[in-house]
Amino acid sequence: MSPVPAFFAGYQTRVDEALRHLVRPERGPVERSMGYTLFAPSKRVRPVLTLLSAELCGGQATRALAAAAAMELVHTSSLILDDLPAMDDAELRRGRRANHREFGEAIAILAAFALLNLAYGTLARSYDAPLSARLATLLDDAVGHNGLIGGQSADLLATDQEIGFDLLERIHRGKTGALFSASAVAGALTAGADADSVAALSAFAKNLGLAFQIIDDLLDVEGDPSQTGKATRKDARKTTFVSFSGVAGAHQLAAELCQTVDYALASFGRTADRLRDLSAFVAGRSI
Amino acid sequence: MTAPPSEDPRVDQLRQRLRSLGYLDAGMDRFVLGPARATRRPSTIAMLASLRVGAIAAALLGPAAALGLSARVPGLVTGPRDAIVVAIYLGGFFGAAMTAFALVASLLVSWASRRSRERYAWLSRAAGGLVTLLCLVYLTLWWQTVIAGRGWSTPIWTLSALAIAVATSLLLGHAVAVAASAVTLAAAVDAAPVGRTPVSATWRTTVAAGALAFGGAALLLTWSAESARGAAPVREALTVVPTGLRIRVIAIDGFDARIFDELSASERLPALTETFGHARVRLQPREGGAGDPARVWTTIATGQPPDVHGVQGLETRSVAGLQGRVAVAEPSALGRALRGATDLVRLTRPAIASGSERRAKTFWEVAAEAGLRTSVVNWWATWPAPADAGVVLSDRATLRLERGGAVDAELAPASLYEPLRRKWPSLKARAVAESARALDYPGDESTRAVLRRSVELDAIQLALVSEVSAPETDLSVVYLPGLDIAQHSLLGGEQSGLAASTLAARLDAVEAYYAALDRLLAPLLTPSRDELVFLVTEPGRVGDTGAARLSVRGAAVRSNSVSDGAATAVAATVLYALGVPMGRDQPGAPLLELCAPQCVARYPVRLVETYGRPSAAPVLRTGQPLDQEMIDRLRSLGYVR
Repeated sequence: MSPVPAFFAGYQTRVDEALRHLVRPERGPVERSMGYTLFAPSKRVRPVLTLLSAELCGGQATRALAAAAAMELVHTSSLILDDLPAMDDAELRRGRRANHREFGEAIAILAAFALLNLAYGTLARSYDAPLSARLATLLDDAVGHNGLIGGQSADLLATDQEIGFDLLERIHRGKTGALFSASAVAGALTAGADADSVAALSAFAKNLGLAFQIIDDLLDVEGDPSQTGKATRKDARKTTFVSFSGVAGAHQLAAELCQTVDYALASFGRTADRLRDLSAFVAGRSI
Repeated sequence: MTAPPSEDPRVDQLRQRLRSLGYLDAGMDRFVLGPARATRRPSTIAMLASLRVGAIAAALLGPAAALGLSARVPGLVTGPRDAIVVAIYLGGFFGAAMTAFALVASLLVSWASRRSRERYAWLSRAAGGLVTLLCLVYLTLWWQTVIAGRGWSTPIWTLSALAIAVATSLLLGHAVAVAASAVTLAAAVDAAPVGRTPVSATWRTTVAAGALAFGGAALLLTWSAESARGAAPVREALTVVPTGLRIRVIAIDGFDARIFDELSASERLPALTETFGHARVRLQPREGGAGDPARVWTTIATGQPPDVHGVQGLETRSVAGLQGRVAVAEPSALGRALRGATDLVRLTRPAIASGSERRAKTFWEVAAEAGLRTSVVNWWATWPAPADAGVVLSDRATLRLERGGAVDAELAPASLYEPLRRKWPSLKARAVAESARALDYPGDESTRAVLRRSVELDAIQLALVSEVSAPETDLSVVYLPGLDIAQHSLLGGEQSGLAASTLAARLDAVEAYYAALDRLLAPLLTPSRDELVFLVTEPGRVGDTGAARLSVRGAAVRSNSVSDGAATAVAATVLYALGVPMGRDQPGAPLLELCAPQCVARYPVRLVETYGRPSAAPVLRTGQPLDQEMIDRLRSLGYVR
């Protein structure tokens, strides 16, 4: 597994600090359930992406911190819901027992909704009305029926069924790509970036998101639970990217997507080196 | 991004599907900056990105420039193959130019942004904007040239061309801006934020810029079209008012008026003296580039100055890979050096001026278009002979008849070739016999050989005239080079420093040539009642002083008139005598002072707007071109060094 880029640590710390201000596990069972998954070992790829995008577009990481935290809150919420028995019924998440196995399904569901609610509230409290409205809309698109929820529902309906490539792409775009793109674009928006910068970052995140998902599929086939932090072979009943391309083909296309990610950053020159490192980390995390 | 050859075929299918879904695509910037992404050195990025920008420019501007150039330089592009080769050449030129510009612009923007990195976005856009502006102006004016040359002036053509011009210009400007900004960013010492990226503006800004550019280009096109319209009159049909006259034009090159006057005074040239005694015009001033026969005689034939008729000199250049030629004006020192360099690398080769470079009609072409029967023999720059200009035995016809083989537009109509080819031995024998009778020179053998060769050459042309001219021919034209060749061989620049006695002997030989010419021409210089003989002489390569002369003999001529005129008036006078209206864009007016008053009163000068350009119809060519043979021949005759 590729090591996390060294510069990650600083960003992770800032994200963690922001999250700890937002979620206090000691306050009650729901908060404890929220914190259980939220503060479990994580790379914080999405919020770091938000901070890096903001900086790349001339903004301050401090100003983007709330948006970054919101992205992580939404992501954690989706993980809790995704692991529920009605969904993937997963046992492990982030190296720990899944949230519902630790706190029960009811608390887990409440914790997930609380995290989601907190994300929107954080955006509304942290930015002026026009920006918070744009960010909320962005989050809505990433979470809603065209985003995470749409992807997850399509994924569930496709279990034990043979699905086409287009549907698989829609599932991946919804489950992973949407929040990746939202994370990158949110950072750019907090920096007041121009349309082209937003478009370039969106292309970057779109390709990176799919690469991330393909590698996730590969990890499910090839990965070691002790390293990935979650159970493998859990997608055996599902059609995945690997089903269409084979393992070698999936590796090849993931590499090409990462190369495209690199191209999308070309116009930013050297200032985008950290995002390149991020994509290199994503590409290399499986092997 | 290329896939390994042994990969699973499913992967390629998936790759295509992903592309259709918007993945694996980073657009133009990827093309421009793609090769530079593996490096962080600003100079390397600048070079690699500039090369890509140059490649875009080559692909976009090369074909456009080829279209414009083919419209502007008639004769350069003779077919699709030539068009492709020209497009490749010009693409290479524009590619190199744009590469250099992008490289310099990138480095300059990077340098200028060192102290204030916030300015780099503005500077990058400025560099891109400059490229956009230059490209747009160039492409708009290019389109004006194409319109003028090809008549593609319908609104749909114009709108399409302008839209393409705007898109091309914006794309190239964008590419330069991207390259410049990437180099600047790479040159930044640290990876700290530098502000907004300048890749391009929002779609609204792009559309607005496109609309603005379109409007500006349309205005420029309208303005330049108005300017061009004044210079491009509409062509009308030519209506002949028959004068009942047949015209014979005899052109003698190398004719020195002083020698003629001396010989005439001693009554050694009775036929020529009689002709010049009827009506005579000094053609002044002698046209620029005097001494170059192709240039001078094309001016006389077209009635237009060289800048208009386009034949700038005897020597042109053929470009490697092209059938067409590039006419070159009298080159400057730099031009000569450039020409030498391109010759050295075999990009260009010497060639002889041809009718393909000519942009104005000759008087026989105008007459043929007006429905008159015409024939022309051996005039400069008449190859390839067009099929729609009466009988044309071009300046390569003699060579083809000597060499044989399939005809390559050396004469027209092509059906004349076989009969002439069969008669060629007898024609030549007749010419040799006539020249032997005409030439009376008792001097040394080497000088006599020079004279004999030249007189035979003239006699052959006259024999060909008699073969191709029928009694009903309205206009018969022949060019006689023999005197110029003989004079150049005996008295030309390479003969300087001759002993006085040798020089005197050679002058005697030249005088003997005048006498031989007088005898050869005597039967032709006596016109019948319905005939006019135009005798046009030019001092040629040796006689760089004195004027060209025109003499007209016939019943309709005002006898003993002596006047001055311009060389461009010859064509106008011939056409007037045939009853063909004058083109308003012809600089020379008919020399009415040569004509009998009743003739002038009866046939007033009529005018049309223009004669138009020579036919652009491709000339049927089947044989092997005699390019090298022609050069060798002209070299042996002293025309080409």
